[in-house]
Amino acid sequence: MQNNFPNEGMSVIVKTITRFTVWLIFLYGLYIVIHGHLSPGGGFAGGVIVALSYVHLTLAYGKNFVMERVNKFAMNSIEAIAAILIVLTGLVGLYVTGYFLANFMGIGKLYTLISAGYIPMLNIFICVKVGMGLYLVFYYLASFKPQEG
Amino acid sequence: MILYIMCFFLFLVGVYGAITKRDLIKIILAIGIMGYSVNLFLVLLAYRTGALAPILKKGFNVTMVDPIPQALVLTSIVIELGVTALMAALAIRIYQKYDTFDITKIRRLQG
Repeated sequence: MQNNFPNEGMSVIVKTITRFTVWLIFLYGLYIVIHGHLSPGGGFAGGVIVALSYVHLTLAYGKNFVMERVNKFAMNSIEAIAAILIVLTGLVGLYVTGYFLANFMGIGKLYTLISAGYIPMLNIFICVKVGMGLYLVFYYLASFKPQEG
Repeated sequence: MILYIMCFFLFLVGVYGAITKRDLIKIILAIGIMGYSVNLFLVLLAYRTGALAPILKKGFNVTMVDPIPQALVLTSIVIELGVTALMAALAIRIYQKYDTFDITKIRRLQG
């Protein structure tokens, strides 16, 4: 990956180690999300870890390196679409069973990966929502400029 | 019992940092430590040795941890995240106005 801002961010040691650790943090977040209905964790905790991998990248490489790669409008849109999908899941439950956010899929076998009905799906939506939202908070805080009063 | 007392000491660490430090960032971190100690206390209240995650099903009787404090702490963590982000934003605005994080130098209203 070409770096147009080699003098920003932290030292070469931190940048090299970040290249190895950032995807480990990202995959750990996805693991927490996918196993959210079986073990401690879930959509929120996994989403925070996914957002922390982006924060890790921003801290190590400087904000300009990240800002020329991510699209602010796309991140806002993805967060909003995830929120709409959560509400739509609730409305489907309302249509099928008569209660808002009711479990409309079969719960399957206990303690298997594909079980608990719609809970893994909701976990993934919440992961996208929380991850994008938390990273956008960090992004807007990082894009403050000290000179502008 | 000793764990609950250690939680209280962790809370006192946060109080000490919040009332003695002059740097705004350190004060924000100290307030975060206070919140984390309260969350840790609530989770420890619900903990049971050798218990499973609370997944309920009919005819399935095992020892489970209490899920209510976990849900409460999750809400508490979300609120704490929002409060921390708000405090960081305010600290950045103060830095734009005063060029410092030292709270003894931020006193323009005092004249």
